[in-house]
Amino acid sequence: MNTVAVLMRKAPYGSVYTAEGFRTLMGIAVFEMDISVVFMDDGVYALLEDQDPSKLDMKPLGDGFPMLTEFDVSKFYVHDQSLADRGLTTDDLLMDVELVDGAQIAQILADAGKVLPF
Amino acid sequence: MLFTVNKSPLSANSLDSVLQVAPQGAPILLYEDGVYAVMPGSKSAPVVQDALAAHPIYALDADLEARGIAKTLEGIQVIGYDGFVELVEQHDVAPWL
Repeated sequence: MNTVAVLMRKAPYGSVYTAEGFRTLMGIAVFEMDISVVFMDDGVYALLEDQDPSKLDMKPLGDGFPMLTEFDVSKFYVHDQSLADRGLTTDDLLMDVELVDGAQIAQILADAGKVLPF
Repeated sequence: MLFTVNKSPLSANSLDSVLQVAPQGAPILLYEDGVYAVMPGSKSAPVVQDALAAHPIYALDADLEARGIAKTLEGIQVIGYDGFVELVEQHDVAPWL
């Protein structure tokens, strides 16, 4: 089975990266690939709960990620230091994730071999 | 002069840069990803807290709500688009894109 890691490092809404990363995940999920999703730096903000961008005339960007489990995308990792630097804990996130450190992320990326950056 | 910042404080130096330039008392408006600077407990919070002693700092409510930011540092003034327009009417604007 093909393996790939999707690396999310940007905040949602301020740029198109989060939305495009999600679209890519939807796209590759149907090919039954072994997908790891890693949230790091401002990328962790994509998983903050209670996002309501209705005044921006947009849809909440975080809500789609938990639904990816229905497409067998279930390996979600969050960089522990990125979360801590932002005063956040896993309780602030809208889905269950696995906390990982930098060395573990390096291993995840190495195991996947291919990295799609957003 | 009104200084506006729309970048996250932990991934860009826009806020740090503005704070090197903005004279005492000059208002600073945070919008788009700039609003992440108001979150308590963040690594950027001490910088913002110090800045609040020298500047009125505003954050746009629509951008806070969009990002799920419910708590803001004490002293941050949350405003709507109407407040944004008022600030722009009252001041010349220096956007720190």
